[in-house]
Amino acid sequence: MLVIDDELPIRRAVHNAFRDTARVIEAGTGSQGIDLVAAERPTLVVLDLGLPDMSGLEVCRAIRAWSNVPILVLSARHADEEKVRLLDAGADDYLTKPFSTSELQARARALMRRAATSAGQGEARIVIGDLVLDLTARSLTRGGELLHLTPIEWDLLRVLMTQAGRTLTHQYLFSEVWRGRQFGDAQQYLRVYVAHLRRKIEADAIRPRYIITEPGVGYRFATAAEASAADGT
Amino acid sequence: MTLRPWHRWVLWTIALGGVTFAMLAFRGRLDKAHVTLLYLLVILLGTVSGGRTLGLSLSGAAFVLFNWFFLRPYGTLRINDPLDWSVLVVFVAVSAVAAQMLHRLQREAVVARQRAEEVNQFAELGAETLNVARSEDALAAVGETIRANLHVAACEIHVGNGVDAQVADPLLVWVRQNGCAALRLADGTTRLAASADAPDDVPPGATAVAWLLPLHVRGHVVGVLELRDARGIDLAHAERRFLRALSYYAALGIERIRLVAAADRADALRAADRLKDALLASVSHDLRTPLTTIKALAHDMRSRDDRALVIEEEADRLNRLVADLLDLSRLQGGAIPLHIALNAVDDLIGALVQRVSGVLGDRRLDITFQDNSTLLVGRFDFVHALRILVNLVENAHKYSPSGTPIALHVTRDGGWLRFTVADRGPGVAEAERERIFEPFYRPSGAIADSGSAGLGLSIARRLAEIQDGTMTYSPRGRGGSEFVLSLPAADLPADAIES
Repeated sequence: MLVIDDELPIRRAVHNAFRDTARVIEAGTGSQGIDLVAAERPTLVVLDLGLPDMSGLEVCRAIRAWSNVPILVLSARHADEEKVRLLDAGADDYLTKPFSTSELQARARALMRRAATSAGQGEARIVIGDLVLDLTARSLTRGGELLHLTPIEWDLLRVLMTQAGRTLTHQYLFSEVWRGRQFGDAQQYLRVYVAHLRRKIEADAIRPRYIITEPGVGYRFATAAEASAADGT
Repeated sequence: MTLRPWHRWVLWTIALGGVTFAMLAFRGRLDKAHVTLLYLLVILLGTVSGGRTLGLSLSGAAFVLFNWFFLRPYGTLRINDPLDWSVLVVFVAVSAVAAQMLHRLQREAVVARQRAEEVNQFAELGAETLNVARSEDALAAVGETIRANLHVAACEIHVGNGVDAQVADPLLVWVRQNGCAALRLADGTTRLAASADAPDDVPPGATAVAWLLPLHVRGHVVGVLELRDARGIDLAHAERRFLRALSYYAALGIERIRLVAAADRADALRAADRLKDALLASVSHDLRTPLTTIKALAHDMRSRDDRALVIEEEADRLNRLVADLLDLSRLQGGAIPLHIALNAVDDLIGALVQRVSGVLGDRRLDITFQDNSTLLVGRFDFVHALRILVNLVENAHKYSPSGTPIALHVTRDGGWLRFTVADRGPGVAEAERERIFEPFYRPSGAIADSGSAGLGLSIARRLAEIQDGTMTYSPRGRGGSEFVLSLPAADLPADAIES
């Protein structure tokens, strides 16, 4: 796992958070970080914005050009536009400073697990919590019971579930779901579709287990681990 | 062709003589009409060239010559035929009237030319006043034009209120304050006018050495125009008119200086505001990195020391305070970004539950909808609306006794979505019900260590207002407070969503 950050205290903090679970290598600048991604092939990159030599956005794009390694961005600003830009540039998740160590650990774990499972992509069935999405049969069951979805709801759920754990921006979801469809100003209804979908798949639409709102940015589908943790409570 | 006046007189006298001499040669064959017409021609041409006096003189001379040379008996001023008298009288009358009319036409032409020139002058001056790069230069140009045209020793334009001038001239101050003109006489006394026009009643024998005229723009006195000449100033009617017109330009020039200064000031204020924003943003940014480290270290120590948890919580509180300050400053500067979109209430409440669950701990948050089956939607900014509700719920949590639940009720009320957050806290005294929305205000009974700087409600109300919503307080029946957030509701077109 690679930490790219110019601030030594933050590098140390990340280092400590993962000292029991991963080998952490550190880079103080963006270019050094990009070189290390190539040389060491880390399973996760934790990238701080505001590096001295290049912008986080540039680092993100440079890594994404040839690597699928999950990127978790740390930022001290809490501007939603910035998050959206970074996620669209290929970052997988985002944490705003000051974050708690447990939050960092949880996000990192989710990203690494997702990367591990998507390595064997092409799976026809995705199981998260009591939801089973069968991509070949185009069917969704909850607790064994078949749920009826409209075509748009189906596509929305498919995009969300196949990338569970990733924060997907409104723009990304829209372009994935409405690709090839006739639409007028359908983009404004994305949030309404999500609300409808929630009412179908969630036990309680205002305490969602599966589709988690990232305010101002987009939506994230819970990973299998998160969903079962929510089950426990 | 420019001739001196006396040259013209000589020329036309010679012409009259020449015509007389020429006609004498043919006297026998000439009729009286020929003589009359030829003389008239000379008189009219002479009037055109030399003016009315020359014309009338020529007609007088022609009268005598006509009588002497061409009316019998020749060589005398006597006339045999009484009809000849009528010819002579008509001739003189016609030539005099013609000369007079020609003269009047010429004079009107001259006046028209002068007027046109005046208009040109004013237009040029007006253009200059507006075009000169520096307004101060325009003012100086107007002053110089007045001085040169009215032939006075000095013309000064006083900008500003004159009160704080180093050598405050009391008369100047009076003119500035009353908006009326004043004169200073050679003997040191003053004359005050009742209007902006210079007074006419200079006592006989006295001379005015200074004129002070107020400069008005849209009913406000913006400055004073001062004319000075130790030899005395006495302006004719036309000159006064000229002065009035030019004073107006001077007033406009002063107004322009004022506006330019105001614009500069506004620019400076905007720059300062941007600087303040940048500073706040960078302070909050720079604070977050050390806070992250503090939190991480405290987290590390958790297993060994219980107090580490307090450190973490306090770091979070500090972070919230900085974020609140930044937001409040942005809200007051109108610089907060706004993304109004169609949003589902489910989504908003879901995000709220997720956000506050950590803060509430064991406390229950009861959420009820007026109608569970229909999906409520509205047009608002999701992030700001969430922020408001989080603030309200956290506030309710802070001020109500432990164990009592917080109630959140959502209804559709006409064109509004109403979110009511109700608690069983102490409520707010009637006198304080508006003041609680002011920044840094904390109700008198507030718990000293409630972890807030009193910014939450003021931020909430401002955030509601920028998205065309409202935020109100009302006491709750059987004790407690109710805060109502109203946001614009929306209706989905029947065919917008496939089902």
